[in-house]
Amino acid sequence: MKKLILLAVMCLATVACSKKTGQETGVIKIGAAGQLTGPEAVFGADMLNGVKLAVEEWNAKGGVLGKKIELVPGDDQAEPRQAVAVANKFTAEGVVGVVGHFNSSCSIPASEVYHKAGIPQISHASTNPKLTDQNFDNVFRVCGRDDQQGKAAGNFAVQKLKVKRVAVIHDKTTYGQGFAEEFKKNLGAGVEVVAFEGITKGEKDYSPVVTKVKSANPDLIFFGGIFTEGGLLIKQYKAMGGTAPFIGGDGIMSEELLKIGGPATEGTYATFGPDTKEVPSAKGFNENYRKKYGEPGVYSVYAYDATNILLQSIKNAGATDGKKLIAAIRAIDYSGALGHIQFDAKGDVKESPYVVWKVESNKFKQVK
Amino acid sequence: MFLQHLLNGITIGGSYALIALGYTLVYGVLKLINFAHGEIYMIGAYLGFILISLIPAMPPFLQGNVILMMMVVLIVAAAICALYGFYLEKICYRPLRGAPKLTPLISALGASIFLQNFVMISMGAKDQIFPQTIGMKTITLGGVSFTLLQLVIIFSSIALMALIYWFINRTRLGVAIKATSTDPYMASLVGINVDTVISVTFMAGSFLAACAGVMIGLYYGSINFTLGYLGGIKAFTAAVLGGIGNVPGAMVGGFLLGIIEALGAGYFSSEYKDVYAFFILIAVLVFRPAGLLGKGVNERA
Repeated sequence: MKKLILLAVMCLATVACSKKTGQETGVIKIGAAGQLTGPEAVFGADMLNGVKLAVEEWNAKGGVLGKKIELVPGDDQAEPRQAVAVANKFTAEGVVGVVGHFNSSCSIPASEVYHKAGIPQISHASTNPKLTDQNFDNVFRVCGRDDQQGKAAGNFAVQKLKVKRVAVIHDKTTYGQGFAEEFKKNLGAGVEVVAFEGITKGEKDYSPVVTKVKSANPDLIFFGGIFTEGGLLIKQYKAMGGTAPFIGGDGIMSEELLKIGGPATEGTYATFGPDTKEVPSAKGFNENYRKKYGEPGVYSVYAYDATNILLQSIKNAGATDGKKLIAAIRAIDYSGALGHIQFDAKGDVKESPYVVWKVESNKFKQVK
Repeated sequence: MFLQHLLNGITIGGSYALIALGYTLVYGVLKLINFAHGEIYMIGAYLGFILISLIPAMPPFLQGNVILMMMVVLIVAAAICALYGFYLEKICYRPLRGAPKLTPLISALGASIFLQNFVMISMGAKDQIFPQTIGMKTITLGGVSFTLLQLVIIFSSIALMALIYWFINRTRLGVAIKATSTDPYMASLVGINVDTVISVTFMAGSFLAACAGVMIGLYYGSINFTLGYLGGIKAFTAAVLGGIGNVPGAMVGGFLLGIIEALGAGYFSSEYKDVYAFFILIAVLVFRPAGLLGKGVNERA
């Protein structure tokens, strides 16, 4: 028994000694956080591959500040609690900056940890306004905000679809509920909200809420949430004989929605940034990504640009020190795959146009 | 509208009841909450998925007959899950027989985490989508919409429950289960092999859970490795609601839970769907601590 304890102590000591921060070992560590496992793991993999691609390209050119870049992935499982654990792990490991997280409900609590540690966080996909409204100097995002996204969805519903009766469903998360409320705000007086319902994430059976929504007889159903639940809702609503189209946001923009919902998803709308598959600035990204990881997900390019901005800022600052690095990110004027990116005082991108997409013959297509 | 909600509740309630039976049977003989039971249900859904993906490779006489094919998938998946149940008991609980009550409970939690991660690593972390199956066409009758598959699910779960009821009350093995759950020591004195009875209980419970898993997978079309957590918690609630250890109680509890959820979410707010279910549970436990159909608990010293 004594021998065992001694062995355990020795093991621990070895681990403790071998754990060095980035600066000491001659590499620069950056963190990439998202839902690498769980039902939304597709979004996590899209992100991680985007970050990997950027890091590999920088390392092929000799790294940054003469050091190799080491990517440290963190799996938050789309759970706020787990996100904080990941953030603490990152700061303990001496990560100089973080790309992520995905879900707003994860990014917001994690941002507090990064703020205390004084390291920058660039989210590729968290759209809830609160994230940057906290006025933390270290928090940035390359995607849009849900007040912009809600406005785009609301305007589209009123002006293009000319709906009169709208049902709203959300998944009770920071992102889903926040987005749903922003959407509702932008409907104006001429539109009646016939139902406003929350659902529990992770369930399979949504027939009660679908029955209720169907009996309210809406022209359009809004869903604030992720494709996992979105696909099931659409499928169950159509199976019950419902005919109104669905509209959602960036959370449902995934091929997975089409797989889960099947043919029922035809005609579903989603708000997102403009198509990046065709734009010239993203041509190189798309080609290289396809070679390595197959077809990019919608948020891969955002993760790729966020990583490039972080690494470019390290180069511009000439240091990995948190304060200098944050100042460099704030000052950056970056032309990447997404186009031109500059941050405002809050850490949001200066221009973030939202457009509407529609599922046509089993594919998301931008509505012209 | 009311009938529609009722039908929704009965469909999901049937699966709660099937899983709840597994909790209740095991609790009956071992006085143990088998927290890994939800994972068996999840594994059942995955086995159903694997078998259905294999359909194109099956002999043609099976492919032609949809009902026969589904029966084969259901029975094979359930039989494999029964083996999972058998080994679960043998590996995680049998060596701890006679240990303090908390020990097997922790072993159960460990088994649950192990099985969940085993499926995550072997099958991938993302959702698996069932191939679009038959019977998804909507039928509307008097304002109530349902699919053929939904009816099949409701009738299969009732048939399975009738089967287990018959098994417990009318077969020698079933009577041996009843005897063991009344008093294991006395049962062993009259010549019942308690170890066999316990194994059979686990296998029967796992068989039912797997059937629920396959049917839920077919019906909702997407499964993932976390399925067992929520399914397990709901079914456990149903078992306690009906009176844990009581077989008809688990059936009543399952259907009741499904119907309460459906009506609560339909007529009030779906945001508080889980609140209604747990509120009823608390109310039942306050006024009838042994559950709806449970008899007064006489704990043995």
